[in-house]
Amino acid sequence: MNVATHTVGSWRRILGTLTLAVLLEQLPWSGLALALRPDFVLVGVLFWTLHQPARISFGAAFFLGLLADFQDGAVFGQHAIAYVVGVYLVLFLRLRLLQFDPLRQAAQLFPILLGVQLLVLLIGWLAVNPPTGLAMLLPVLSSAVLWYLIALFVRLWHGKGMQDRA
Amino acid sequence: MAMPGQLMFARRLGPMARLLIWLLVGASCVAIDTRYHALDGLRSGFSLVLQPARAIMRTPFDIAAELGGFFVRHRLLQKERDALMTERARLLVDVNTAQELVRENAELRTLLQLQSRPGQRVVHAALLYRGHDWFAQRITLDQGGGAGLRRGLPVVDASGLVGQVSRVYPGSSEVMLVSSSGQLTPVLVERTGQRGLAAGNGRSQMDLRYMPAQTDIRPGDRLLTSGIDRLYPAGIPVARVSRVSRSQSSPYLRVECLPLAGLDRARAVLVLIADPQVTQP
Repeated sequence: MNVATHTVGSWRRILGTLTLAVLLEQLPWSGLALALRPDFVLVGVLFWTLHQPARISFGAAFFLGLLADFQDGAVFGQHAIAYVVGVYLVLFLRLRLLQFDPLRQAAQLFPILLGVQLLVLLIGWLAVNPPTGLAMLLPVLSSAVLWYLIALFVRLWHGKGMQDRA
Repeated sequence: MAMPGQLMFARRLGPMARLLIWLLVGASCVAIDTRYHALDGLRSGFSLVLQPARAIMRTPFDIAAELGGFFVRHRLLQKERDALMTERARLLVDVNTAQELVRENAELRTLLQLQSRPGQRVVHAALLYRGHDWFAQRITLDQGGGAGLRRGLPVVDASGLVGQVSRVYPGSSEVMLVSSSGQLTPVLVERTGQRGLAAGNGRSQMDLRYMPAQTDIRPGDRLLTSGIDRLYPAGIPVARVSRVSRSQSSPYLRVECLPLAGLDRARAVLVLIADPQVTQP
């Protein structure tokens, strides 16, 4: 498959499949079909990111994410950010994914798709219903400081490091 | 971060850096859109591009529906025709009564030197697309700013209030459904005249909020728009009470209602356009 990538991913084919994905989402979905509808555009973007990372990656994902935001009447950026993160994850796991058979690829993509969906949910929630201030992030900072103090204390107490003595 | 599959000394930015840049762009998009509403032009652009695509993609479904309707049995049509004739006769009587009332009303108004309510215009629109947002239930209609729609107009179907126009594009518009979470509708209970606020809960149902525990309300009561917001005309059916329960922790009743309009089924809806009413004190 690696050898064939140059012939498989011509611009015409890439743009054709992505356009098809966008058009599929324009069908009048409703009811159960709407609930079960796969995210055609996301799948298309991730597929081409996997096989043609030089051509389709962050920029295309961001633009198509904006399109998905319009599609759902959501806040602009909601899907765009999530798609970009999905692209990053696929790039990160790219060589691994390319060696798998289709079933394992799908199984590996499941957590990525789940992460993207959760991110859409999180950003939408933050944008529509923002928590008062960003004070909820303060514990992150204080926890980090606490970690530093504990590590410092342990180091001073035991000398160099705990792992040496185990 | 070292990335397999890339040259060690590549001239491009690494994936991590590119991710961060795009995240920054995305975050500013969210901020600009929610705080300053400055991206409506982009929305209009997308709508102009996607509108024809949506129309084309739904054509096969429309044709199928037409064909299906064509083969409805003759007998059924006849039966329907008879029923419609009867209903028409009944409605004619109603119309006569209504005309009488309009005349009487006009006379009374002139007597009272009141400005008559500006005439209402109605725009027919068809459902084009159903949104798939988790935070609000929306539908897209095939009429937009060109047909005189603007934000905030009420949308009804044959059986009740569907929602409110929330965004307007040149050739289409988005409607926030009454059952969308956080969408408030001022209503009154038809039987008792008690006023209240109906709020969508995002799961195709509505709650009637802030009803004191001793309120006279039962399952089956109809809720109509009360018209006190000057947004919805008074008297449009909104929902029917489905369940009333008392909770120990809250001084208010928990009243669940089902919207009367076919929110999931309606294909054709009406948008009511009335000029903003200005009343002199």
